[in-house]
Parts: sequence; structure tokens; C-alpha cells
Amino acid sequence: MTRLPYLKLVLATFASGTLLSVLLLIPNWFGDAASTAAPEIDLMLDVTIVISSYIFAGVCVALAYALIKWRVKPGDESDGLPIHGNTKLEIVWTMIPLLIVLGLGIYSWVVLDDIEAKDKDAQIVNVYSQQFAWTFGFPEQGNKWSEGELHVPVDRQTVFKLHAQDVIHSFWVPEWRIKKDNVPGITTDAIVTPDKVGHFQLVCTELCGYGHSTMRANVVVESEADYAKWVKGLDQKVPESLILTADQALEIEREAQARDGGIEGSGVQETGTDNQS
Amino acid sequence: MESASVALGHGHDAEDHHHGPPEANQSARIDRTVLGILLFILSEIMLFGAFFAAYFFLRVVVSPEAWPPVGIELPVLVAGINTVVLVSSSFTVHYALEAIKRGNHRGLKLGLGITWLLGATFLFIQINEYVHIGFTPRDGAFGTIFFSLTGLHGAHVFIGLLLLTFANIRAWRGHFGPEQKDHLGVEVPGIYWHFVDIMWIVVFLAIYII
Amino acid sequence: MAAAIKQPGWYRGAIGALLGAAFGFFLVIGLRALMGLDIYQTEQTGYPHIVVPLITAPFGFLFGFGAFDYWFRWAAGKPTIPDDHSAHGATKWQDYFKFNTDHKVIGTQYVVTTLMFFLIGGLLALMMRAELASPGSQIVAANTFNGLFSTHAVIMIFLFIIPVFAGLANYVLPLMIGAPDMAFPRLNALSFWLLPIAGIIFIASFLAPGGSFDAGWTGYAPLSTGAPFGQSFFNVGVQFAGASSIATALNFLVTIITMRAPGMNLWRMPLLVWANLSTSLLVVGATPFVAGAQFMVLFDRVLGMNFFQFLEGGDVISYQHIFWFYSHPAVYIMMLPGFGIVSEIISTHARKPVFGYRLMALALIGIVVLSYTVWAHHMFVAGMFSWLRVPIMITTLLIAVPTGIKIFSWLGTLFYGKIHVYSTAMLFALAFIVTFTVGGISGVMLGMIPLDIHVSDTYFIVAHIHFVLFGGSVFTIFAGIYHWFPKMTGRMYDEKLGRIHFWGTVIGTWGTFVPMHWIGMDGMPRRVADYASQYGDWNLFISVFAFILGAVQLVFFYNMIVSWRFGPKAGDNPWRANTIEWQVSSPPPVFNFDEIPRVVGGPYEFGTPGARHAIMGGETAAEIPEPKPTTVTAP
Ligand code: HEA
Ligand code: HEA
Ligand code: CUA
Ligand SMILES: [Cu+2]
Repeated sequence: MTRLPYLKLVLATFASGTLLSVLLLIPNWFGDAASTAAPEIDLMLDVTIVISSYIFAGVCVALAYALIKWRVKPGDESDGLPIHGNTKLEIVWTMIPLLIVLGLGIYSWVVLDDIEAKDKDAQIVNVYSQQFAWTFGFPEQGNKWSEGELHVPVDRQTVFKLHAQDVIHSFWVPEWRIKKDNVPGITTDAIVTPDKVGHFQLVCTELCGYGHSTMRANVVVESEADYAKWVKGLDQKVPESLILTADQALEIEREAQARDGGIEGSGVQETGTDNQS
Repeated sequence: MESASVALGHGHDAEDHHHGPPEANQSARIDRTVLGILLFILSEIMLFGAFFAAYFFLRVVVSPEAWPPVGIELPVLVAGINTVVLVSSSFTVHYALEAIKRGNHRGLKLGLGITWLLGATFLFIQINEYVHIGFTPRDGAFGTIFFSLTGLHGAHVFIGLLLLTFANIRAWRGHFGPEQKDHLGVEVPGIYWHFVDIMWIVVFLAIYII
Repeated sequence: MAAAIKQPGWYRGAIGALLGAAFGFFLVIGLRALMGLDIYQTEQTGYPHIVVPLITAPFGFLFGFGAFDYWFRWAAGKPTIPDDHSAHGATKWQDYFKFNTDHKVIGTQYVVTTLMFFLIGGLLALMMRAELASPGSQIVAANTFNGLFSTHAVIMIFLFIIPVFAGLANYVLPLMIGAPDMAFPRLNALSFWLLPIAGIIFIASFLAPGGSFDAGWTGYAPLSTGAPFGQSFFNVGVQFAGASSIATALNFLVTIITMRAPGMNLWRMPLLVWANLSTSLLVVGATPFVAGAQFMVLFDRVLGMNFFQFLEGGDVISYQHIFWFYSHPAVYIMMLPGFGIVSEIISTHARKPVFGYRLMALALIGIVVLSYTVWAHHMFVAGMFSWLRVPIMITTLLIAVPTGIKIFSWLGTLFYGKIHVYSTAMLFALAFIVTFTVGGISGVMLGMIPLDIHVSDTYFIVAHIHFVLFGGSVFTIFAGIYHWFPKMTGRMYDEKLGRIHFWGTVIGTWGTFVPMHWIGMDGMPRRVADYASQYGDWNLFISVFAFILGAVQLVFFYNMIVSWRFGPKAGDNPWRANTIEWQVSSPPPVFNFDEIPRVVGGPYEFGTPGARHAIMGGETAAEIPEPKPTTVTAP
């Protein structure tokens, strides 16, 4: 029996894996980045692409090698070698993937903690979603309301409190890389620190009925000053199109009173209704 | 639920085998039908599991202020008596099986008959309770959970009773005998009945006690 | 005519269906009158007077069709008809339209029926692709589109992938373990007949006021609890499909545990048997959860219960937990039997024992166990308990390990083999390894929470789904059908057409589903009838390849139908395989064996001179040389 040309196989895997990862790293898969979380997630994608490329290359190289080397000649009716296994090899190919996935798991965990870390000076914005429209509430700027258009200041963390009035919707701004479902009955939150000024789209990504594909809102990231100006121009009245549940109405009332009563906007504070996140 | 009766009773009656299939090798000691009903019960437990998961979410995760809501009094005493009724029927069905194992047909008929009556009593009391309970499945999460869990269980009692009916009929016609293959028609509904019983204890604890 | 009505069969079935429907209808009306309600509930979603007949009519049909005759006689204490086995085996094509209890007939019924559903599901996909070929709204309205992908996925999953595996296994598994039939032949037949019923219910939903169910195959509450009437068809249809697969799984488990031929201990079972054992464990444990979830939705809709009514104390996210507790295991229900098929084919066509056989079997069990612990990876962005995310991420990623073992062991099987690639079955098995690896790796990326947060609910998911389901499950299904076609029909299919089908399918699959990764990552959400125009070019590209993919399937259907009638005789063992199903005639005799075979060795002893897997009835032991298992370890 000939010894396997391990070295050749490994080299071929390495070469084709490298080639593949280089090719795959050229395109900018996730598109423009506009939040502090984005570079971390993009880096993570790149790392994953490289690892995946080598794994995929390894599988393909092994398959191609076997097919070239051990394809039968016409008329050969004999059998292959009666190899039943090789414990050492089996341990190796159990352990290597195990280590890889554990590594990826820990890496993901670290990144997750990082992108969900709350800043002290974060502001809260309420996001209400209903078939098929978005409404935004700005409790910290004097209970202002905006329909269909969201402005946020650049370089400051915003904690979006997500609400849903009828069915599940989902809050996603691709350039921010952050997504979270708006779930009826509970409040979920999405934490974003935009770091680029510009115009973006808020996309609903949870199937919510026939208008799902058009349920969008404009997002404008602007300087703190522009933002303050914009918010100032908004209305204080809850928009009529927004159908609040009794609980939500009560909640808004309470928050308004607390703020009018002089309690300083104390940054990120749980409102007590988030029972799941 | 879909096909409780289905796992019962075939493969074991003395079919005559000319031109028939060769007898299959018996590669495990457990009887096929018994194994079948056990696996079926496993999937039934999972079905209950789905509803208990809902129970967990509605009661613990949503955590309403009062559970049961104020104004709802559950007839714990009646349900307790009902529990005794159902649990005792587990003993009678066991008695029936033991009887036929010794070839005692009278004991078999007696045991099966009493079991059937106890089961029917349970169901009757349950329906009576529904009528007088004073709230409906539409009344909040509690109504939903109360009716769906007890109702799901009630449906199983009904299926169990159906199986017991068959066993009763055949017992009165003089079928069954001491050999295992001759009294599977008692053993299998019996296993199912024990399951219905144990499940009731769990449902009872979850709904009425804690 | 009178006789025809008394006989179990289609006439009696039709009457039974009508009676069943009438029974359900009057039951509802009667009960409502009794409770002092309006006899018709007219709330938009309810219609109990239609939903209940939807459940009772199929039972009526089954009664009439003869599914329960035997059990009724038994229950009534009458002597059961001594089985004359007329309901066994098939001699003419009409026999396939009867309540037949022969596992081989049932297997064929399954495969043919499910392939029909594949066609229907595929046509729905093509309608979707036609709509998506360019941005804007062309041929269907948005809610019709939602109905299209929902029915597409439901038909593909519940009526094609899951049951077609059950069908293939139904045919070969009893043969493989040396059993004359399944443990419960009547239950087996019943499982089959539940399928067309489920299919008719799903498809009939298109006739419902408000259109077919359109909340996605996941049917998330509260979208589904408030959806128009069509949704109830999904809730009910799933019960029939689910009951069918639970019953089949029970049957497989009991058959495998209690009916193996003498000598076939666990470590001599072919891997297909192991795979179906594992799958059945998943089905028995998990499928009740989808039944439960759909019952709850139905109760909310019809009885006004409040499982998911957040204003009444219900909990929206609990639906997803319950649903995915089934539906994640379900994706392995859709993959493990394929793993089994691939092991059989690769070993046979590489003329080598499966590399690391025991670890292969243990990996299957490992996947089963892990499967039950990862459901919430579908809910990373759903706003569920945030503490649950990281543990679920770890278990999710761990699944790559046993799956990797399988991939590497197949490659190991090829090394030092004598690889025959003339058979289309082998080609599909090899292509499966590559495509499934891609789908699996994108799955691992989804398992990593930060990446999933970005790509969840985008076309990246659609790409993952189809790489594992088409490049994974469907490739193995094609492989299995080609592999056992000569056994099932006694005839050989046309390899040339097989090759055209193979290359067309591979190119079509990659062309259709690879670009979906890109547009998904770039920001195109899934389940949309319309999209931003920047994705127009790629979507057109995808649609073109989807139509190519659809068109080559016609070659497959042509090949199968024509070869079944006119193909050359195949012989009993065209692939020179060792497992027992190849040691009997093609197609096998009605009761499989005259005498139960005896198993004397492993199933894949290629290359060991004189090694045997089984001794068939009729051979005497003296003729059999004592096998000397030579074990060579890889260098
Ligand atoms: C046959 C069906 C099938 C299979 C086998 C899989 C396999 C896997 N799936 Fe997939 N999945 C689906 C069908 C399937 N999936 C469907 C239908 C959905 C969408 C449902 C919906 O929302 O509609 C989905 C969605 C889905 C999600 C949710 C995405 C979202 O909605 O946000 C996730 C997240 O973790 C996921 C993960 C995985 C993983 C980790 C595997 C793993 O099992 C993959 C393991 C395989 C490999 C990894 C490749 C081989 C291994 C090696 C070569 C070893 C070396 C590899 C490494 C070290 C990485 N899948
Ligand atoms: C289970 C297996 C399975 C299979 C085999 C397929 C096969 C295909 N699927 Fe599907 N799909 C799913 C499971 C599957 N899918 C699931 C679970 C979803 C998620 C649904 C949800 O979001 O709820 C989905 C969603 C889904 C979407 C996303 C919808 C959306 O989110 O908006 C798309 C879009 O392109 C799509 C396309 C296709 C195509 C083109 C095929 C093709 O491969 C089909 C090829 C087959 C044929 C075409 C049939 C055979 C041939 C003919 C009918 C002949 C006639 C043809 C000609 C003359 C050309 N599928
Ligand atoms: Cu809102 Cu989709
Ligand atoms: Cu999953």
C-alpha cells in the first residue's frame, strides 16, 4: 500500500483555500457600514469566510484527489481495500472541528457582549410598528413623535425600545447590522451607535402581511445639533394613526408625568415592561 | 390522539400462514404491540409537553398578577374526588390483567367493567364541572390553559374508554387467555389507561394545586 | 353497484367522506345550538362548521376506504377475516390505488405521490421566481405571493421531503433487516393514505375565501391567528401529515427493534437502518410539538382561546419556542435519512466498507441528541430570553462536529476505493457532499449570533435553506431513487438521461441558490413580493437558473416513467451490493423471503474475500466459507 501524500493534500488544500478566501474577501458582502457594531461584525464575517474557505477547500481537494486517483479503469470489477477505519484519524477529525467551532463560539460571544454593551449617555427612542407603518417616539426630548421618519444623532448610542401593535415586525437597518423583532405584548430593544452621517432605510424583516415588503421608513443620521433641531420641530401629540394598547398609553402617560415632574432624563432605564429581553 | 386505537391488535391473532409471509425473527424480547404503544405514549407525552410549555409561558413568563385570576374559584374538592376515581381505576385495570393471566375470566370481566364505569364517571364529572365552572376558554390565559389541558386530557380519557369498550366487548365474548399473546387486548389498553391516569395527576397538580 | 358500495374502496370512501363531513357539520351546529350560540360562527377566521368537517370528512373517507375494517371487526369481537393476503402485493396497476398493506407497494405509493407533490411545490416556486424576476409587481398581488411561498414550503417539507424518505425506507428497510414486512402493515397503509389527504387540504386552501394560508411555513402567531380562513387549512393539514409521520416512525422503530433477522445485531445494521432509527426517534419526540402548536393556533382562531393573544394574557413568543422545538429537529428529519442513503451508495460504488462505521452510527445518535437542544437558534433576533442565546449558539455550533464526522468518513470511504462513477446515483451522492458542505457552513455562520443578527430573515437564509434542502435532501433523494430504481421496478433507467438530469440539477442548484447569499447579505429581506431595484439583475439571474432547474426535472420524470415501462431488465443486483435487499429478485417477491435470511457479517464487507453479510434461505451453511475479516488500517 502506498502511503498517502499527506503533504501534497495539505498543500493543495492550503493553496486552494487561500485562493478561495482571497477571492471571497474581495467583495464587500455586507455593503456599507454605519455603526460601531458594523466593523466588528464585518471582521467576524471575514474570519468566518477564511475558515470556511479552508474547510470547503479541504473537502473538495480530498474528493477530487480520490476521484482522480481511485476511479476504476473500465472493466475493473475488483474491490477496494478493506479498510474499516482508523481511530487516530477519526479522533483528529472530531477534535479539529470541535476546536474550530468552540473558538468561533467564544469569539461570537465576545463580539455579542461588545455590540450589546450599553453606554451611559445613551438616549432612548421608542419604535412603534403596526401593519404597515413605523412611528417613533422621543421621550427624552419632551415626548415628541415622528411618523415614518427616524432621525438619530451620530456617534451617540441610541437604545431603541421596540413595540408592536398587532403582529410581529422586525427592525433592521442593514448598514447598522442590527436587527431585532418588534413583538406584541413585550418590549424588546436594539442598541445602536451610528457612526456615519447619512440617509438609510429601516426595513421590516418579519413577515407581517401583504404590506410586508413595503414596510419601510427613512432613517437619517445627523449631527447632534441637527438632530436637536429636528426633534424640536416635532409634534407632542401622539399621532392618530398609532393605535396604542391600553398598557402602552398608560406607560407613555406615566413617563410623561415623570419627566414633567422634573426627574432628569436618567439615561437608560428599564421601564419594567421588558419581561423577556 | 390521531390513531390511538391503531397500534392495537394485529399481527397476533392466529392468522393461518399458508401462502403467508415467513414468520419474522423476534430480535427483541419485548412484544411488538407493547413496544408500539409505549412509543406512542412517548409521543403523547410530548404532545402534553407542548401544552405544558404553553402553560409555563402563560403563567411564569407572562406572570399575570393572580393565577387563577381573582374571582375564579376552582372546585378543588370535586377534582380531588375525581382524581381518586381515576386513580382507583388504574388498580382495577391492573386487577383485570392479573386475573386473566391466571385464566380468571370472571375477574377479568369484573375488573374491566369497573374500570370502564370509573372512567365514565370521571368523564361525566369533568363535563359537569365544565358546565358549572363559570368561565369559558375565552376568558384570558387562565381559561385557555384550564380548558386546553383538561380538555386534552379528557380527550385521552375518551380514547382510553373507547379502547376499554373494545376490551370489554371481547372479554364478554370470551376472548383472551393467560398467554401474553392472547391478552394483549387487555394489556395494551391497560398500559394506555395507566398513562392517562398518571397524566391526570400531573394535570391536576398543575391546574388545581400549584 | 350495491356490492361496490359495500366493498371497501373508492365508492364507499366517497360516501364515507360525505357522511363524515355531514357529521362534523351537524356536530358543530348541534353543539352550538345546545350552548345557546348562533349556529353559524361568522367571525372572519373561525368557521368551525367548515373546520370540523375538514377533520371528520377524511376520517369518513378512511372508514369507507377500508382503513379501519380490520380493527373494527377486532374491536367488535368478531372473528377477524383470516387474512387471504389479497390486500398484499400488487399485480396490476389498480392495486396501487387500494388500501394495500404490502410495504413495497406502500413504498412505491409514497415515492410516486410525493414526487407529484414535488412537481406542485416546484411549480409554485417557479411562479414565485417569475414574479421576482424583476422588481415591482408583475403577475401576482402581494398577498397571493405570500400564499405562494407558504404553500411552496409546506408542500415541499410536509409532502415531499419528509414522506419521500419514509417511502424509500418503507421499501428497502424491511428487506435490509430481513423482515417479511413492517411491524404494523395496516398502520403503515394508513400512514400513507393520510398523506394525499393532507395534500388535498393544503391545496384546497387556495379555494378558501381570502386565499391560501400566507403566514409562511412557520405560521408565526399572531399573524396566523388573525389570518384569513386559509390558515385553518394549514393547521388541520399539518395534523394529518404529522400523524402520518408519527405512525410511520413508530412502525420503523418497532420493526427495527423487534424484527431484525437472526444475527443482525446493532453493529451489523446498514447505515440506512441506523439513519431511519435516528430519524424516527426525532419524529416520535418532536412532531407532537408541531401538532400542539397548530392546535393552539386553531383553538385561538376557532374557539377564541388566548394562547397567543397578547391583549388577553397570551404570549406571542411561546409559539416560536413550541414550533421550533419541532421544526429544528424536523430539518434533521429531512436530512438524516439522506445521510443513510449516501452511506449505502458511496460504500457500494467505491467498493469499500464505510469508513469508521461505528462512529458514523454514533454521529447520527449525537445529532439526534443535539437536535433537541438547538431550537432557539431560529429566534436569536426574536426577542426571546437573552440568556438563552449563548448556550443555544454553542449547541448549534457543536452539531457541526458529528456532521463533519459524516462528511469526512464518506471521503475516507472513497480513499483507496475502486470508485465507479457510471451511476447517476453515485454522482448525486458525490455532489451532495460538496453542496451540503456549503449549506452546512452557511448554517454555522447563522449559528454565530452576531452574524445571524445581520442576515436573519434575509435571502441568506433562503440560500441556506435551499443548499441544505435541495443540495442536501433532494440530492440524496435523487440518489436514492436512482439507486433503488432497478430494485423497485426490475428495470434499469437510462444513464445518459440521468447524467443530463444530474448536471442540469447541479448547475441549476448552484446558479439559483448561490447568488441568494450575496443579495441576502447585501440587504434583501426574504418573503417579499417586491424589492429594491438594485437587486434586479441578480434576481433575474436567479430566476433564469430556477427555470433551468425546473426544466431538467422534466428529464428526470421522463426517464423514470419511460424506463419503468420500457427500460432494459436490470437483474437482481446490478450494483453488486451486499445488503440483503439486493440478494432477492427485482422486484422482490410478495413476502420478500421464503425463509428469513441469516446475518453473518457486517453490511459493507467489500474487499474481504469470502466475507458475507447474509446467508439467504435455501443456502446451506456448509456452502458458506468462514469469513476471515481482515482489517487494514489506513496509512
Ligand atoms: C435539511 C435541512 C437543514 C439542515 C441539515 C440544516 C443544518 C444546519 N442549520 Fe439550518 N435551516 C434549515 C434547514 C436545515 N438546516 C431551514 C429550513 C431553515 C429556515 C427556517 C425558516 O426560517 O424558514 C434553517 C435556518 C437556520 C438557522 C436560523 C437562521 C435564522 O432564521 O436567522 C440557523 C441558525 O443557527 C441554522 C443553522 C444550521 C446549522 C448550524 C446546521 C448544521 O447542522 C450544519 C452542519 C454541517 C456542516 C457544518 C457541514 C459539514 C461539516 C464539516 C465539513 C466539518 C467542519 C466544519 C466546521 C468546523 C464549521 N439554520
Ligand atoms: C423542502 C424543500 C424545498 C425545495 C425542494 C425547494 C425548491 C425551490 N425553491 Fe424553495 N423554499 C423552501 C423549501 C424548498 N424549496 C422553504 C422551506 C422556503 C421558506 C418559505 C417561507 O419563507 O416560509 C422556501 C422559500 C423559497 C423562496 C423564498 C421566498 C421568499 O422568501 O420570498 C424562493 C425564491 O426564490 C424559493 C425558490 C425555490 C426554487 C426555485 C426551487 C426549485 O428548486 C424547484 C425546482 C423544481 C421544480 C421546478 C419542479 C419540477 C418541474 C416542473 C414543475 C416542470 C415545469 C417547469 C418548466 C417547464 C420550466 N423557495
Ligand atoms: Cu412589518 Cu414586515
Ligand atoms: Cu434549526
